[in-house]
Amino acid sequence: MLGAEPGVALVAVGGYGRRELLPGSDLDVLLLHAGREGIASIADRIWYPVWDSGARLDHAVRTVPQARRVARADIKVALGLLNARHVAGDPALTMQLREGALEDWRAAARTRLADLRELHNERVRIFGELAFLLEPDLKEARGGLRDVHAIQAIAAAWVASAPGPRVRAAYESILDARHILHEITGRASDRLVQEEHDEVARAAGLLDGDALLRELAGAGRTVAYAVDHAFRQAERASGRRLRRRKLERRPLADGVVEQDGEVVLARAADPKSDPVLLLRAAAAAAQAGRPLAPRALARLAECPPLPVPWPAEARDALVALLGAGPEAIAVWEALDQEGLITVLIPDWERVRNRPQRNPLHTYTVDRHLVEAAAHAATMTRDVARPDLLLLAALLHDLGKGWPGDHSVSGEVVARDVAHRIGLSEADAELIAKATRHHLLLPLVATRRDLDDPVTVEQVARTVGSRPLLELLHALAIADGLATGPAAWNDWKAGLVADLVHRVEAVLAGDPPPGAGPLRADQLALVEAGSPAAVVSDDEVTVVAPDRPGLLWRAAGVLASHRLAVRGANATSIGTTAVAVFQVAPEYGDPPDSTLVASDLRRMLEGRLDVEERLERRIRGARPRGAIVAPPKVTLVDDASLTATVVEVRAHDEPGLLWRIGRALGGCGLDLRSARVETLGAEAVDVFYVADESGQPLTSRDVRQATIEAVLGALSP
Amino acid sequence: MKLVTAIIKPFKLDDVKAALQAFGVKGMTVVESSGYGRQRGHTEVYRGAEYQVDLVPKVRLEVLCDDEDADDLIGVIVKAAQTGRIGDGKVWSTPVDTVVRVRTGERGPDAI
Repeated sequence: MLGAEPGVALVAVGGYGRRELLPGSDLDVLLLHAGREGIASIADRIWYPVWDSGARLDHAVRTVPQARRVARADIKVALGLLNARHVAGDPALTMQLREGALEDWRAAARTRLADLRELHNERVRIFGELAFLLEPDLKEARGGLRDVHAIQAIAAAWVASAPGPRVRAAYESILDARHILHEITGRASDRLVQEEHDEVARAAGLLDGDALLRELAGAGRTVAYAVDHAFRQAERASGRRLRRRKLERRPLADGVVEQDGEVVLARAADPKSDPVLLLRAAAAAAQAGRPLAPRALARLAECPPLPVPWPAEARDALVALLGAGPEAIAVWEALDQEGLITVLIPDWERVRNRPQRNPLHTYTVDRHLVEAAAHAATMTRDVARPDLLLLAALLHDLGKGWPGDHSVSGEVVARDVAHRIGLSEADAELIAKATRHHLLLPLVATRRDLDDPVTVEQVARTVGSRPLLELLHALAIADGLATGPAAWNDWKAGLVADLVHRVEAVLAGDPPPGAGPLRADQLALVEAGSPAAVVSDDEVTVVAPDRPGLLWRAAGVLASHRLAVRGANATSIGTTAVAVFQVAPEYGDPPDSTLVASDLRRMLEGRLDVEERLERRIRGARPRGAIVAPPKVTLVDDASLTATVVEVRAHDEPGLLWRIGRALGGCGLDLRSARVETLGAEAVDVFYVADESGQPLTSRDVRQATIEAVLGALSP
Repeated sequence: MKLVTAIIKPFKLDDVKAALQAFGVKGMTVVESSGYGRQRGHTEVYRGAEYQVDLVPKVRLEVLCDDEDADDLIGVIVKAAQTGRIGDGKVWSTPVDTVVRVRTGERGPDAI
């Protein structure tokens, strides 16, 4: 059609430029000319036959400078020009456009890539994520075709490498599915709706719709992971141009540091001899809200498998990872991409990428579980055992990988996994029961008469205990929220809460645990009668004449030595107080135990200003990353006749015990005994306190002031 | 034609649905709703905190029917939804001018 016209070229852009025309695609073409007269008649000669053929045409007529100007103003045009391909006419003109467009793209890379990211975020907001949706948009969703184009565009700006073989294979399979979808529906629709699943699958030579969705989920995850990485590289490249300063390394956990916005392994870390490093790094990354660097992930893959049952440190790290809430999702996804999740939890394989084809569910089973755990993280302050809540949320649907009622098969799988990760027999049983009955509360609340005492009694009999009821309630909310808007709303939440209140009234509650008994060697120290401080690798014992503030001052000394308090038990025998701390170094080598002991002794003698020392250290400590639930302070009266129980649930951080204790002391309260537990990143602290006259707190004002003082000490 | 609207206790929905199907009702609309009537809201105290329970969860059900069926239909719903306790709900009917089936364009009783 162009014949031998000089100074004119027909250029294919967009999908046509990439040679990816599908049955329903637009024909994206640009008629390029060197400013000649009468171009309109040439254009007509080309456009009319195309229009007459019925193909959809997206066309423009421009000179090279015009095309570049439009591209500079509109990023979508700029992206289309990156794929410009010569079709007919003067090839030199096309070459000129291609080179000019690339030059402009690179010159303005910093703002262009930021715009590109903005476009990506906007698409994610509207279309969601290909891998986890049951009716994904193959082109626009996160992990879809547009994201691969984005990677190519970033690569064109020379800040990241072009899509690798895994991404290219993923791209091909999504493109194939889209091609078949267009052919079957006869429309340019990119959304793979449920009615088309099976037919598209058959045409693609797959068994059924589930197989298709599994394949697409795998492809979508690969692309999404790669596009995130490309954007991070782009951001770093533009950031480096801005600051050009030395890269800072900040310790996050033992063997794990943050550098340049990513989490990497410390130089001294040795994955081959440290099986817990994988989970420790993942937890640290999620808690700091930073991604794990790909090179760190590659090294973490060298970690030997964890011993079964897992050591406590690994379990704590898993809980801390899940406790980071939404931040945990990206980290989990990164581990999954490297195949590390199924190494940790082999049962995960059966739910991985498994679609759930009903109108209630938004996500695949595996993503639903991770989402449920993220929602559970916001409710960790509402249950006595936040660690069990997070684990139950992660495991509650593992039965969906097996035939039969998933609650029944899930109970077995959940118990197995709970044993594998080293939970005690009682805790494993609680997780198994929570899995077995995770639908009980929503089902009964919506289908049975709550005013009928038999209904409430039956639930109370099935559940049996307050801890399990709390767990089931929080799990029902997390599960419902993670399922989708049709599965959970205020209406249903109200019904379930009503049922829970009624069942609670039937079940008697256990009081919070008080201080535990002392061991013989600890009793011997008390009988020896003189103040003492004994420091070993993981335990610190302090014995001194009983006086207010001993526990929290000692905790302050430990925090100032970078020792994290994982548990504490304080009690007094006669006029002597005993505080026993379980400790672990926050990161790096443990501090010198003789130094810690001598500081403790100086504190006992009143020769050490803990406050000054600690404040200095906390100021330089890690930033607060993902804190997803506000702290909660509750006064419990029925637990003791001689004291009031202050229950504090908060995010664990350096100096936490010191801060709470100081606040209680500041209210003029006497600490009788205490029990502190750290479960993952969550601290559950119980203090038995009395007022100056040795009585429980009764005045409403004093009680309120106590709660406010503790909350005040917890807020940043 | 009449629109029969019923506000019932949520757990009674399955019974009412079954009874209406047995009666020959082809379609209905169900909405999760909340409100209060003579039973009123009440205050509950739980672990020291007060909860104002002012709106009670209910299900709202709507059925279109011919004029002559309306009374029978109301009777069927009342029988199925009754527990005899406060908060059982209400059923009423309202006259309807026009009904159109969107797919076919049918009007009036044919569209029910």
